[in-house]
Amino acid sequence: MKINKEEQPNLQKTLVSIALGTLIGLGTYGFCLHFDIEIIGWNLGLLFAPLAAGYSETYIAKKLVGKDVGAISALILFIVTVVYGFIIDNPTLGYNLITLASIIIILQAAAPTVTNYFGMVILLGIISKLIDFIKRISDKCYTKLFKRAKKNNEIIDVIKIFNESESNELLNSQNFYYFTPNTINLEYENIGYFYATKVMDKNTAILGISSSEIKKKRLNDLKTGKDECLIKLANEIKSKNGNGVIDLEIEYFLTGFQASEFQIVAQGMGIRVKE
Amino acid sequence: MILTSSNTLENKKIIEYKGLVTGEALIGDNIYKDLFSGVRDVVGGRTSKYEDEIKKTRDIALESMREKAEQLNANAIIGLKISYDNLGGTMGNTILITAYGTAINYE
Repeated sequence: MKINKEEQPNLQKTLVSIALGTLIGLGTYGFCLHFDIEIIGWNLGLLFAPLAAGYSETYIAKKLVGKDVGAISALILFIVTVVYGFIIDNPTLGYNLITLASIIIILQAAAPTVTNYFGMVILLGIISKLIDFIKRISDKCYTKLFKRAKKNNEIIDVIKIFNESESNELLNSQNFYYFTPNTINLEYENIGYFYATKVMDKNTAILGISSSEIKKKRLNDLKTGKDECLIKLANEIKSKNGNGVIDLEIEYFLTGFQASEFQIVAQGMGIRVKE
Repeated sequence: MILTSSNTLENKKIIEYKGLVTGEALIGDNIYKDLFSGVRDVVGGRTSKYEDEIKKTRDIALESMREKAEQLNANAIIGLKISYDNLGGTMGNTILITAYGTAINYE
């Protein structure tokens, strides 16, 4: 990691604020442990130490650096309190399912994205690879047993780069005027309000594709969907003898059961521009 | 190139409407940036990262839109609209930023 010379004093100040935050957090935890401040057996230090660390770090960092530095000390204190309070200082801890579930819940609270990513992507990925492996073995057995080759229907998914200029030409070569302003300097008559929708799968093909590829594919899908939606809107207006739309709005949102689909809506006032 | 959200350009005459120009960009799930977000959400400390990310993404969308306007030989974009839509994702942080407007020529 390269650090700019200009950033160096800031880095020192950042480290100072993290260290001070951690110290304050440790002090709070020590105080709570020494005076046994607890409710129903729960030492309140577990709650207050990370909070004190995070708040003081953020406060100090804002004074020194001018912005918050990420509440790193809260994280450190969280780990310290969990390791000490739940594992070292816990005589009831045993090797059982409840301990395992508690660890998962603690991890989930501290690092929801990582834990969810692990559960949803890595575990599911391993399962899908396993199923794939079993399927390949069974396919081989099938071919050997029946001396028949199965049709190879493997799909290679290559994500193309979306051609922006082609899309731009396509949209603006429809013999149709798209206007985003709600008034224009041309003579026209109103035809009425029009909208067009395009529903598409959310495409949660997580398995086998990395996150950045999903992002690219999603964005490509959205761009193509938007073009289709706009052309649909143009055709709709053309069918009512219009040749343009003013106050055009394009909206994207999630819909369907458990937000399983994307919906794109293009809407506006259909007009006929007098040539 | 002039970008404006208004319908007209003050003291300038619109000679020609060139067409619709759009630009889109996505902020994806970034697990590295979201590491340990649970604890840090409570005490603050993650917001500025997202602010930077949103700014960068908006710039990408605007730049893509501007390039398309140049392709149409326009010298301004009017009726500019920028929208931010949340498209879900692992932690509900996949955000689509779209910028669109009408490319014009003025004198």
